[in-house]
Parts: sequence; C-alpha cells; structure tokens
Amino acid sequence: MVLCNKIIACITICALCLPVEVQGQIFSDTIESQTIQEVSISAEPTLGASSISVEKNANQQLMSATGSLQVSDVLKFFSGATVKDYGGVGGLKTVSVRGLGASHTAVSYDGIIITDNQTGQIDLGRFSASQAESVRLVSGPDNDLLQTAAMASQAAAITVSSVRPQLTGKKHDSSAQLKYGSFNTISAQASTAFRVKRNNTVSLQAEWLRTDGNYPYILDNSNSSETKKLENSDVNRFRAEAAWFGTINQNTDITVRGYWFQSEQGLHNNILYIEKTPLTRLWNRDVFVQASLKSALNNRLTLKMNAKYGNTYTRYYDPDQLNIAKVTDNRYLEQEGYLAGVLLYRITNSITASTALDGRLSKLDGNGAEQARPTRATLNASVALKYASQTLTLTGRLNYVGTTEKTINRKAAQNYSHFSPIIGANWLVWPTAGLHVRASFTNTYRLPTFNDLYFEQIVSRDLKPERSSVTSAGLVFENQVNTTLLSFYADAYNSRIKDRIVAVPGKNTAVWMMVNTGLVVTHGIETGFDISRFEGRIRPAAKMSYTYQRAMDKSDKESSTWNHQLPYTPRHSASAVAWIETPVINISCNSIYSGDYYSNAYNGPEYYMPSYYEIGCSLWKDFQTRHYNATLKAECINLTNNQYELVRYFPMPGRQFRITATIELK
Amino acid sequence: MRTHLIYALLCSLLFLACDPEPLLLEPSKATPDGVHTGAFVLSEGLINLNNSTLSWIDFGTGDTYSWNRQGKTSFDCFEKANGRYLGDTANDMILYGSRLYIAVNISSTIEIIDVATCRSIKQIKMENGGVPSQPRCLIAQGGFIYVCCYDGTVERIDTLTFKRNATVHVGRNPDGICYAAGKLYVSNSGGLDYTNPDSTVSVIDVESFTEIKRIPVRSNPGKICTDGKSVFVVSRGIFDYNKMDYDCRLHRINTDSDIVTDTYDIPVLNMDIVGDKAWLYRYGSGKIQIMDTSTGDIIQPDFITDQTHIESPYSIKVDPVTRNVYICEAAANYVTPGTLYCFNPNGELKYKIPGIGINPNTVLLTTANVRPADADADFVIQKKTPITKVFSYCPAPGQFVNTLPVCTQSDDSISMAKKCLDQLTTGNMITLGGFGGYITVGFDSPVINYYGPDFIINGNAVTNGAEPGVVWVSADVNGNNIPDDVWYEIYGSEQKAQRSKSAYSICYRKPLNDNENILWHGSDGQKGSITRNDYHDQPYYPMWYKSDSVSFTATLLPSNMSYSNGTWIMPAFEYGYADNKPNSDKNSAFDIDWAVNADGSPANLSSIDFIKIQNGVVGCNDITGEQSTEISSIYNINP
Repeated sequence: MVLCNKIIACITICALCLPVEVQGQIFSDTIESQTIQEVSISAEPTLGASSISVEKNANQQLMSATGSLQVSDVLKFFSGATVKDYGGVGGLKTVSVRGLGASHTAVSYDGIIITDNQTGQIDLGRFSASQAESVRLVSGPDNDLLQTAAMASQAAAITVSSVRPQLTGKKHDSSAQLKYGSFNTISAQASTAFRVKRNNTVSLQAEWLRTDGNYPYILDNSNSSETKKLENSDVNRFRAEAAWFGTINQNTDITVRGYWFQSEQGLHNNILYIEKTPLTRLWNRDVFVQASLKSALNNRLTLKMNAKYGNTYTRYYDPDQLNIAKVTDNRYLEQEGYLAGVLLYRITNSITASTALDGRLSKLDGNGAEQARPTRATLNASVALKYASQTLTLTGRLNYVGTTEKTINRKAAQNYSHFSPIIGANWLVWPTAGLHVRASFTNTYRLPTFNDLYFEQIVSRDLKPERSSVTSAGLVFENQVNTTLLSFYADAYNSRIKDRIVAVPGKNTAVWMMVNTGLVVTHGIETGFDISRFEGRIRPAAKMSYTYQRAMDKSDKESSTWNHQLPYTPRHSASAVAWIETPVINISCNSIYSGDYYSNAYNGPEYYMPSYYEIGCSLWKDFQTRHYNATLKAECINLTNNQYELVRYFPMPGRQFRITATIELK
Repeated sequence: MRTHLIYALLCSLLFLACDPEPLLLEPSKATPDGVHTGAFVLSEGLINLNNSTLSWIDFGTGDTYSWNRQGKTSFDCFEKANGRYLGDTANDMILYGSRLYIAVNISSTIEIIDVATCRSIKQIKMENGGVPSQPRCLIAQGGFIYVCCYDGTVERIDTLTFKRNATVHVGRNPDGICYAAGKLYVSNSGGLDYTNPDSTVSVIDVESFTEIKRIPVRSNPGKICTDGKSVFVVSRGIFDYNKMDYDCRLHRINTDSDIVTDTYDIPVLNMDIVGDKAWLYRYGSGKIQIMDTSTGDIIQPDFITDQTHIESPYSIKVDPVTRNVYICEAAANYVTPGTLYCFNPNGELKYKIPGIGINPNTVLLTTANVRPADADADFVIQKKTPITKVFSYCPAPGQFVNTLPVCTQSDDSISMAKKCLDQLTTGNMITLGGFGGYITVGFDSPVINYYGPDFIINGNAVTNGAEPGVVWVSADVNGNNIPDDVWYEIYGSEQKAQRSKSAYSICYRKPLNDNENILWHGSDGQKGSITRNDYHDQPYYPMWYKSDSVSFTATLLPSNMSYSNGTWIMPAFEYGYADNKPNSDKNSAFDIDWAVNADGSPANLSSIDFIKIQNGVVGCNDITGEQSTEISSIYNINP
C-alpha cells in the first residue's frame, strides 16, 4: 500500500524522476503512511507496476464515478474479484478473489484485519463508500513488508482506508453530505476534524443510512414468473467514528480509533406460493477500538504495533417458526482481543527483512442452551525478506498459523498448526517503456469458522482447513505520454483449493449450511487497462477490466460435478468506467458485465443463471465560494432497468436514481 | 528479451486453452418390470431455492422424461407440464386413483396432479390463521387425503371437492403418518426444538376424525409404517454432536392396545414394509437390513448382494408386486442431483439412474399411461362439458341481431333463448349486439375451481378483431337451479389495471323506420349511434323487444378500436374476456380465481353454476360496423 502510493506519487508528481523513485522504494516501508496518502489524493488510481501481484486501487473519485454507495459496489469493477451480492442495501455482499472463496480474502480497516470467526465472511456492504478514502485489492502476495502476519497469511487482501482529515492551512476540516435515492434511501453524513495542540488531530464522523429497499423484481417461476415487490427489506444503519492522530516525536506516529456501527434490517425471502410477508429481522452492532503505532527506531529499524478490541453483536429473529416458542431468536456476541507487532530491518539499501507476530483471542457466545461457545486463540507469525533494486523486486515470506480451541458445549475442534510459503518477483524488463514482468506463488490456509464447526443443526464432520495455492504470472506496463497516464496489466493464474468448505445459503442468508467439496482448480486471467489525463482543464479518464475464471470441481472423478464450474463464478466478467472532468460539469459512465454461470455445483439447466450487465451514469458539479466548497451530484444506477439476480432468488434492484449534496466548510 | 517474455506469457495462457468442459448427467435406461408403466421420482431440492422436481421414468422406453431447458436437458416433468415450478421442499407424494398428491413443505401447498398428463389440477394453499402450515406427509384412506402438517395438525382433504374439510390437532411437528386398523398414527417429532423434541405418537380415529390417544415413545419419532398388524415407528433420539449421528431405535406399536410392545436396538432411520418384511437403513450407512416384522428378527443383515455401495441413502421403496427395491441416494454433499437405484428381490442391481434431482425422497410406481403434457404447446383441452341451459338472451341492437340466431315474428324471449342454446351446443354463433347486450347460461353440474382455467368461451375473435365481452359468474348457493344468486365479475386485465368503468348505462332508442340508425345515449351524457351498413339489411333492433327503448348497465372497457394503415383494428386485451383472444389461445379460457366481490376483493369461489356474458365495448365504424361480442360455445373444461 505504502509502496504503491509512494510510486503513484512519484510518477504523477515527479514524472518518473528516477533517483526519487529509487529513494522511494527503499524508504517506502518506513515512511509514515499519513503523509503519503495526502500526496496521493490527487493521483489517479493506478496499478502498482512494481508490485508482485495484481493490485487495484479505488480512490474517492473512482468510487464516485462508479456510483458506489457501498464499498462492495466499487469492487465489482476490479478484475479478479467476484462479488456475491444478495441484492439491495441490506443484502450480504462478499468478495472472493480468483475463485478462492470469500474467506480467503483478508479485509482490513486501516490496515488492521477484520475477522468474523463465526461466518468467516466479511460483509463489504457494511462499509459505505463515503467512509472510505480508498479501497485497495491485492489479489496475491503483497510487497509491503510492514504487513501484519494475519494480513500476509491470506491469499488476497482488501484494505479499506478511512478518510483522513486534511488540515493543511486550515483550522478544521468539516463537511456534511446528504443523499436521497430511490426506494426512500436516505443517507446523511457529517464529519469534522481539528488540531489539538500542535501535532495531534482529532476527527469525528457520523453517518446514518436508511432505506425501504422495496424494489420491484421478477419472481422466477418458469413461464409463470410474476412481478412482485420486495418485502421486509428495510435497512437502518448508524455509524460513528472518532479518531486521534498523534505524533509522539518525529519518528513515531500513533492512531487510535473508536468505531461504532449499528444496524437493523429485514430479511426478505422468496419462497414460491407463500404470500405471507416475512417478518425476519437482523440486528448488528459492531464496536471496536483499535490503535496503531508506527515508529522508525533508527534509520534501519522500524516498528509497527497494532492493538484492537472488538465486540460484535448479532441478533437474528424470525417469528414465523413452528417450534414451541413460535419464534427463532438467536443472539451472538463475538469478542476479540488482538495484538500485532511487525519489526522491519533494512539490512542494506536493497535488502529488507521483517518479522511479524499476531496474537488473537476470539470468543463466541450465544443465547442458545446448546451452543458450543467456543474460544479460539490464534497465533500468526511471519518472516519475510525482500530484495529491491531499480529493476528487480524479490519477496519471500514464510507464514505460520496455529490455533488452540476450547468449547463449553460439544467437542472442540482440533488444534491447527500450519506453515505456508509465499514468493514473488517483479522485473522491470524494459525500463524505457515501463514494462514489468511479475510472478508469484502463495500457499495459504483458511481455518474452519465457528459456523463451519458448531452451527446448531448443521452436521459438520471433522473439518480440515482449506488449503489454497496460487501460481500467478503476468506483465504490467505503466507509462506517461505528456499529461496522459497509460497502464495495462495481464496476469494469468492457476489456483487450487484443497478441502474447500463451501457455504450454501439456508433458509435465508443469516443461516448457513457447510459442505466440503474437495479440490477446486481455477485457471484464470485478469487484465485491465487504464488511461487518464491528469492535468488540464478537461480531464478524461477510463478504466477497463476483464476476468476469465474457469473454476473446476476436481474432487472426485466419479462425481456428477467433476469439471463443473463452481457455483456463482462466471467464466467471463468485465467492467468499464469512464469519466470526464470539465470546468462546467463532470460526467461519468460505468458498466459491469457478467457472463452466465450456475447457482449449483452441478451445472444443470435448472441452475443456469443468465449473463447480465448494468450501466450507470452520473453528473456532478462543484461550486466554490469564499466559505465553502459544494458538490451536487445526480446519479442513475442500472440505467436500462435490467432485472437480474446475482444469487438465485435474491433479485437485484432495477433502475434507481440518487441525488447527493456535499458541503465542505473552508 | 521480448521473445522470452512472449514465451512466458504463452506458457501461462496455454493451460487455459485445454480446460475440459463439464459433462451433464444422462440417465441410464430403466428396464421394464412387467407390471408397471413407469415410476415417478420426487426430489425435494434445497430449502429456499424453490427447486423441488418431479421426474418420470418410462419403463416402456426406458427413458427418463426430458426436455430442453436453456439449451440443456431437464428432467422436471412438472415444470414442463405446468409452466411453473413445484415449489420449495416437496416432502412427500402419494398416488390415489388417477391423481398424484404432493406435499410441498416450505411452499406450504398440496399439488393435485393428473397422472396421465402431469398437469396440476389443483393447488391447495395450506395455512392456518394466515400462517403456512407446512404439509409434510400424506396418506389416502376412504376418499380422503390426510396430511400431517408441521404446525401440529392433521388436515383431511376431500378427493372429490379438493377442499380441506376437517382439522385435528396433534403433537409438535408431525413427521410421519400411516393408517392401520381404522386409525391414523402420526409421529410427533418436535424436530424444530432439537434440544427438546416431542416423544409421542398421536392416534386418530378415522371414523370420528378425533385424536383418541398419544402414545409415549422415545424422543423425535419420524418414519412410521405398518405391516397391517403392527405399527413400526423410528425414534431418532437427540442428535449427538460428538458422534455426529442420531441415536435411533425402532418401536413396535400394537394396534389393538395402542401401546409400545417392543423396542428394537436397531439404529434405523428410514424403512419400507411389504408383507411381513421391513427393509431398513440407518443414517450415513448404505447397508440395507431386512427384518421379519412378525418376530422382529433381522433375517438379512445386508440386502445388497452385489458390489453396489450406496453412500447416502435418502429414501427406500419396495414394490409390493415385483419386490424390486428402489433406493434413492442423495449426492454426497446433498446439494447436487442424486441417483435412483433399482435392485431385484435378490439384492442385485438392475440399473441406476443418476441425475434424478436433488435429494430424491419418494418413488412411486404406476400402471397409468403417462404422457407428460407440454405447457408451451398450444392450449389443449382434455375434456369439454357444454352448457345445458340458456336463462336469458338480451342482445343490444346490432348488425347481427335477429339473424344470429334468426328471429321470426312469432319469436319471444323464451324461444330466442332456446334458439341460443341450440346454436351454442352445435357450435354456431350468437351475437350480443352493442354495448351491454348479454346472455345468461348454466351447466348441469358445477364447474369446479381447479388450478388454472376452468371454463372456456369460444367466439369469432381473430388477431386485431376482438370484441370483448365481460364475464360474470355465480354459484347456485340456494340450490334452486335459477341464477338468482350473487354475481361475481371476472376481473380481466382491464379491470385489474383499473382502466374500466363499472356500471355504465346506455339507452338505445328503437328507430321509427328499420332502415334508420339506432341512436343511444350514455349515463355520462355521451351520445352515439349503431349505424346501419350495406351488408346487413334486417332490423338491427331486437324484434321481440316490446318497448321503444332499451337500457343496459355494464362494465365499460376502454376502447380497443383504432384506425391504422387504412383499416380498423381491434387488438385483444391481455386476458379475461369473451370473444377477445382467438379460440386456440389459452387466454380464451377463464379461471374462477379471477372472480371478485363487488369491492374488487377475490371472491374465492370453489365452484360456479352460471355464467353471464355482456358486451363491454362501445365501438362503431363505417366499415366493420359496431363491435358486438359473438359467442359460439361455452364449455366446462374441468378434467
């Protein structure tokens, strides 16, 4: 991340000034990220040409151009990523990368990993696009040696970076935003940041979002399909954040963040011939406090420390049950304590070593008498070595994960203990053209979640962790012609997952069924092309991406699903977004396309999901006065009103409109 | 250097080119058993995915019925025959008479299906107090279907009227039902409280249809069967999370004393009984044991005598005639299609049919001649019962009036009605004249409200030549065979979309001379005329009407007449009108479910006896004349 942004900054600002770039590469791992991010705001999202993996970055401009309301929306525009979207604001949204399944993707908020030991899947719909300054997806190992061991141990990583206050030359940084959209979607957000003493900044942010979400859809019933309106699909969410950015001395920065997220929503279902409105509700409360310290101890040694306490409460309530209580009312409380340290040592100007250690204690409680109430202690350790010259980057890493588990009811899962290696290389083969070749190999483990192991009425056998290995090779080109930035990448990969644990939706998305499908082999290509003009009165930009994924079930030659494509994995998918900024008005257009796919591991005609596309566009204008900057934006999402389902029987909304007004005080 | 690069890229792309394509399951052939024409297999699918399916295996051809869906082969004959899905988690199926009865658990419906065509003739929505009651298992006895529902009830359904006519409350979440010695035995599982299941079997006296006893058994009883002398019930116990297995036992209930007389320490989960033998299997084991039900001894520890191994049996069915044993196996992961195995009585595999459906739970053998219908094909009516009565015929003035049917000076309203009956039963046309003209007809026996269309009205509509008539229905509630009961309007597409105007009145004036146009005025002050044309020179005003003016009140539909490319066109409305769609179109038929009360709410009629058809359009042009609804026949199309 740090490296990438630094390089972007270098390219855009210093126009490929080579000495600076080398300097940047060497010191990038030790430079505090805050200053770099402030520089990179104005830069276009680019591809991280020196990265050993495919790396995609979305800044607020791209999120705006893609009409993203939630972080998951912008991820649909990234190659290699498959977003499983249950539709609407409240529908679960998970991201799997390179056919590996959502739980192989680490998700972090400001670099600190978010874990959900219960389901193993992070709902990326819970992050609003306006709370993220940038979203970054690395679909393979990361160059960054300052990564924590837990982040480095996953096959792919998504980093959501919160909005950083901009206090250069002003006393405070305050803004407010109001959104109104179709189906009574209202979002209001306010934030302020101010200096406390000289080097300390405090930022406060609050956001409220509500929607009826009652969009019309077509309930598939063969030739008798009918148009209905979604019921029980309302969402009400509130988020508040407070952060303190402190500078202890010239070399040490500390960030402490308190986070409160609360939501209540209905869960719709679409059972044929049932006319009764579902009354199922889901409540979430996610509270955490996290702290991050980064210190350059001397000019060779850098220390990073992360700490977090998280408290996640979930309540699932269904009053349409035929049990004694006539209701299902499940409440869960997951708590975690987390401590991580990374020590980075620059051995020579081109060789860097790092060691990282993470400890996590997670505990799941519930109201059911028979619930397992597991406590899991996880230890992640990692050692890494990197060589970086002007033209060549080599990274090697060895990860360790070990767990020990206790339960109050039921038999506890076995303890896990696994080592896994990661290696990668990037070679600038043609410096004048800016052409790099890169390759990587990763081997990672995904541990069974508490739901995999202990879910109430689900029979789960002695689960083994999923073991994934990915081999990837490709080329990346990044160059500048006058004021135009061009970049292109194409990476081919082969991924294998052994003992894959697959989540199948139960009665609705809050209840899961776990099955093990043995071996999955994926062959894929991800490729993207960016072009943008970064100076001048009129600045057009365009991004395109294409993904090919052939994810085959290779579990059992005798099985009916041998060589069948994994469910919910299109072979072809593509996206394009283009926007133009002019002094008069700014315009953007975006489109995603997904080829056909299947909703079942058996690719029979009953489970065929046709291809779909979605087009959106937006217009916005900035107004500047002496006292404030304002932006007025109008968006249309799903312009052609395409009716489609991403997940079987969870329809996506049709055409929607949204108006956003933002005001920023000077 | 660049050649190296291209080489590296080519290598990485190479493995993409040779990816094998997935193969779909093609069922292998069944062989005839000498008795049956074939077998139906019900597969429940997965919860919340609406993917229950019904397959038909034809022993004559050996083929599993298949058709093309999305360019691939589908084996769901229910979808093909009905143009809709069976629903969510079809749990049980029985054959009674010429009909299949399927309990669809999560969709909470009972589908009553005509065996010969696989067409659903009735879908009963099962609910108690607005809450879906979730039917689980079925049994037929003495002209009734008994359904145990997960909400703790047993429902009785009349197989003639297809109506639920009585309910008995039993224990929690009943999960099995059988009939023995004049009584129904219902296993109360309480399975939704998995830590505190029920542990009783309810005994219901069939004659009085009341619960007479609850027999205590071990917890979580499930499958229940009888050999005619005793009732055998599986009690599954509480699921053991450490062993990851049920703790199953088998009880014997004496049907005289209704007490548990024996408990066998056999871990059976499912079984089928034929004669005095029970074929049993347990969870997670493919081994089929055979028990002598008179002694309770296991007489054969492993029924399968060849190398066939069944990993996850999902249901078992023993054919009482041939003693062939049909075992359905769920896929290893329970989410992909399963397999049907057929064994001969010696336990040797005859054939197996993979790809039968997800989680196949019921096999039914039949001797019926089954030809699954095709919902996409043209509208085919199996049976047509014509009207037997015309109560009144009151056309409005029009160009065919007095000729369809022919009126002479001696005719009166009674003889005209008689002429109409003659026309309509011989397939000849009658006219209703202009807006408001109507005819009232009746049937000998009620038209039952089955699933889908119930009666058809044929007219002379062609494409762009619709003269829509509004249809009303009435049931002979007072039983006097006269249509003096409440009329219910059939809401067609225009009423549904609120484009119509109800109770619009028009008054037609008899002209002084027969060769003059007939003037009318509407209740909203509008005026117009039925203009005479060159083709029809008879009087346009009904000759048998005594008064000089006649008024009609009817539902006024929006105008469908317009002038386009030099001709007048009258495109049809979507559905729900007489003389609207061509007779071959399925929308020339009517579903009694479309009938509404005066306030527009569904009338929920179970049958009707009378039909009234009334011209609903005001339209006249100088080429085709006025729009007049014409009728050639009216049929009850109940199967």
